Amino acid sequence: MNDHFQEKFIEEAKELVSGLEEALLLLEDNPDDTKHIEEVFRVMHTLKGSGAMFGMNEISEFTHNLESLYVFVKEQQIPVTKQLLDLTLDSVDHIKVLLSQKIDKGTLSNGLELSGKILQHIKNAGIEVLQDSESSDILPDKVREQDKIIDQQKSVATFYILFKPGKEILRDGTNPLYLLDELSTMGSTYIFRHSDNVPTFRKIDPALCYTFWEILMATGNVIDDIHDVFLFVEDVSTIEILKIADCNILDNSDFIRKAESLFVEGEAMSKAILKNISEELIVLPGKLQSKPVDKAVIPVSETGKKDNHKKENITIKQQPEAYENRGISSIRVSSDKIDNLMNNISELVIVQARLSLLADKMNQPDLSQISESVEKLSRQLRDNVFNISLVPVKNLVARYKRLVRDLSKELGKEIDFFTEGTETALDKNIIESLTDPLLHIFRNSIDHGIEDIETREKIGKPEKGKITLKAYYSGSEVHIAVEDDGGGIDINKIKEKAVNKGIIKAGASPGEKEILNLIFLPGFSTASKVTGVSGRGVGMDVVMRKIKDIRGNVEIDTEVGKGTTITIKLPLTLSIIDGLLVSVADSLYVLPISVVDKIFPVKHKELQDSFNNIIVLDGGQILFIYLRSEFVIGGEAPVYEQVVVVRHGEQKVGLVVDAVIREYQAVLKPVGSHYKDQDFFSGATILGDGSIALILDTNRIVSKFTNDNQ
Amino acid sequence: MDEKQKANQNSYLTFRLGKELFAADVRYVLHILPVPEITEVPNSTDYMKGVINHGGKVLPVVDTRVKFNMPQVEKTKNTCIIVVEINSNNDTINVGAVVDSVHDVLEISDEQIQPQPGIGSKYQSEFIDGMIKEKDEFIILLNMNKVFSAEEVDTIVKTPETGNQKPETKNQES
Amino acid sequence: MINNNIKDMAKTIMFVEDSESVREAVKFTLEKAGYNVILGTDGSDALKYLENPDIDLVLTDLYMPNMDGIGLIKEIRKSKNHKHVPILFLTTETHKHKKIEAREAGATGWIVKPFVPEKLITTIRKVLR
Repeated sequence: MNDHFQEKFIEEAKELVSGLEEALLLLEDNPDDTKHIEEVFRVMHTLKGSGAMFGMNEISEFTHNLESLYVFVKEQQIPVTKQLLDLTLDSVDHIKVLLSQKIDKGTLSNGLELSGKILQHIKNAGIEVLQDSESSDILPDKVREQDKIIDQQKSVATFYILFKPGKEILRDGTNPLYLLDELSTMGSTYIFRHSDNVPTFRKIDPALCYTFWEILMATGNVIDDIHDVFLFVEDVSTIEILKIADCNILDNSDFIRKAESLFVEGEAMSKAILKNISEELIVLPGKLQSKPVDKAVIPVSETGKKDNHKKENITIKQQPEAYENRGISSIRVSSDKIDNLMNNISELVIVQARLSLLADKMNQPDLSQISESVEKLSRQLRDNVFNISLVPVKNLVARYKRLVRDLSKELGKEIDFFTEGTETALDKNIIESLTDPLLHIFRNSIDHGIEDIETREKIGKPEKGKITLKAYYSGSEVHIAVEDDGGGIDINKIKEKAVNKGIIKAGASPGEKEILNLIFLPGFSTASKVTGVSGRGVGMDVVMRKIKDIRGNVEIDTEVGKGTTITIKLPLTLSIIDGLLVSVADSLYVLPISVVDKIFPVKHKELQDSFNNIIVLDGGQILFIYLRSEFVIGGEAPVYEQVVVVRHGEQKVGLVVDAVIREYQAVLKPVGSHYKDQDFFSGATILGDGSIALILDTNRIVSKFTNDNQ
Repeated sequence: MDEKQKANQNSYLTFRLGKELFAADVRYVLHILPVPEITEVPNSTDYMKGVINHGGKVLPVVDTRVKFNMPQVEKTKNTCIIVVEINSNNDTINVGAVVDSVHDVLEISDEQIQPQPGIGSKYQSEFIDGMIKEKDEFIILLNMNKVFSAEEVDTIVKTPETGNQKPETKNQES
Repeated sequence: MINNNIKDMAKTIMFVEDSESVREAVKFTLEKAGYNVILGTDGSDALKYLENPDIDLVLTDLYMPNMDGIGLIKEIRKSKNHKHVPILFLTTETHKHKKIEAREAGATGWIVKPFVPEKLITTIRKVLR
């Protein structure tokens, strides 16, 4: 800690000490006033706690005893007497000398003498002074550290620890991994993780802990130290600790191998067997030179009965999976590596598509089987890596918080920043692509959205503006919204401007949404006053372009006087989707399976004869979109066509195609910015034979269709 | 003097569209491909021919004839795609351009490049970096970033009616 | 892009302590490690920050005037926004009863005073990761 802070501390400590003196004098007049005792105690506590932080160990060490003394005073085990107060005031004088930093031999011996007196005072009250390892602060730090090291070398032992956290453990912010980490700082650990109880994704409650652990640990600490780690959680968790060897048996690879073979997912190991193994290994000459284990060590709870019957299970289940569960429970990987992995998987999926194509052609059962297994594996692999690359929106929050703070200050506005749902996770590449567009949006909100304080006061709004960043899932999309309670966007103003700029004709009466969307045109800005922050008309068009690049969309909702919400809508998954391969004439298309509800074969004639693109399916009326004509593909339709019913918000809409071919795992590739204005496709994918299928963006196809036909 | 000249000298790929000969700075050119199967993208701008699989990537392909307002022709054995890397909107993007045939690679020094005559020229000046006279034939040197930009662009070919006016972009309808 | 530093940067720690020098020193230490820091001078002062939804960890002293650490922990656990926020308390008390009292109030863990900056940061990282 640097000198500046030490100076500050000394200054503060001097004030504290004079306050302390005052309190002591008041206490002398009113010995029963607990308020003053509290005050004295608190000052000592602060001096003790802070002194060492600022390199003033003498103060810390000296006040430690004084604090202990006042713990008893506070608890009324030691009365407030003149003797006590004299001693305390003497001590205060000593502290003053220490604070003056003019310490000589005399000061130190004076300190020791006073410390002795303080301890004596406690003893005289008939109280045993505890000298437990942590509170023996009278010894200088270094000596204690050394002692600890020697201690550890002297008596390393191996413990078995069962840690079964209560399901609710996460609710208090306790991270069980933190406890495991704490354990691993005490010695070498070997951790078995049981995660079989974790329910399937749909049923999982992220606020609950489903995992439990078994840990083998070699440490110089005693069993009580281990218990201390779990002190906070022992009432809600099952903790069992058993010493299994009086040496570090974890260095013995035979032991580890055997212990691993004991591991059964979801069941605690038999401690008796574990101990047996260690004993056997230890008595083998030359392997480990140590005494046999002390059998009388505490079994914390009784599970011994079950041991015998478990034995059978264990010998049968010598699963190789045990190896996966060893050691470190989390690692940090650079995002480049995940990107590479993602690319590899994309390639794998494409190669797998070729393999399935080949297998279909060859019509060999063996090959088909292999091909199916590869498909299944690549799907699993894909899902796993997707999971890894998800990052919560929270990671974005700090910079916007800062932006809101700094910018509002600069503009003389007062704005509170709130967030909602920031745990919503997105692919990290998407998160990265969002930073700049969001920055623009925030700037606009702060600069043009939120009014200045006078204006807000005038119209009866709270002085402080409010900006909220919200993230939430909506169907197969993630929405990220920036909501402000500012002045909103005046649609008439935009319209006026658009007319002036010749973008819309003077007499035209476009819809509200249409007018709002003009904001996304390059060079369009509504701010009547150009500021250094925004309002130069760059911005929203860039926002739209960047979001379109990641297959998203931007929507504006606004109400004059009330505020504006800008919502970025993003597809949930990137790069690889589960799709349905369909065909129209010679062209192949992929639909995301997540939106598909049902598929009906329908006679072409029936569709042809229908009125207003409505047919009755499954007893309900369904709007259908005839892709052959939407896509302007010629040719003759087959007798039977397929109506693929997809979900579009609350609505269900049929997309008519020639044929449904099969399910298809599609690696999504961008079609490039030359196609950024088309409305039908979210990308393209390369099929097994090297040809390209476009991926349908059903949401946009349906929206466009309904807009066009209104 | 010699060195200076060398520094001013660049390579240009020349290609034909109908009767006209065009030149592209080779620094923009990545590959020249025979025309593979092209997947059409419905509801896109007319000069966008479709997408192709180019080394595992999806490459958009521009029908250069449409861009230059020339009639469509049947594919011949000389028809090919020039894959170019251009700068559009601060992004580096790849795009394929269908041309009738690739002609030659020429070493041309800056001095040989003449400005496009303002009057009597068929093309809007912003798309043309200049003219090169080679063996009695004029080669039109293209501004690749402009011609193949991903943005909706002004028509390249001057027409009496449109002049310099911007065409309606289809964005506004939606 | 998302490396250690940036992840840490995104975190906000509320530190509640009555000693100004400790406050400043800890703030200095935490900010150097890349955290955002909100400071409270005692329990009741800290309460006003609980409206802020972006507190990723609370670090509090136990002995403070007005409202002590235990009281603060209880209030945090009752609050709308921070029912589940990790709370670490600073204590010189190594006696079990104080820790248990804090635990019952809803604390997540403790850091023994005096501490060195590195120890503080490693403990916080462990809780926050």
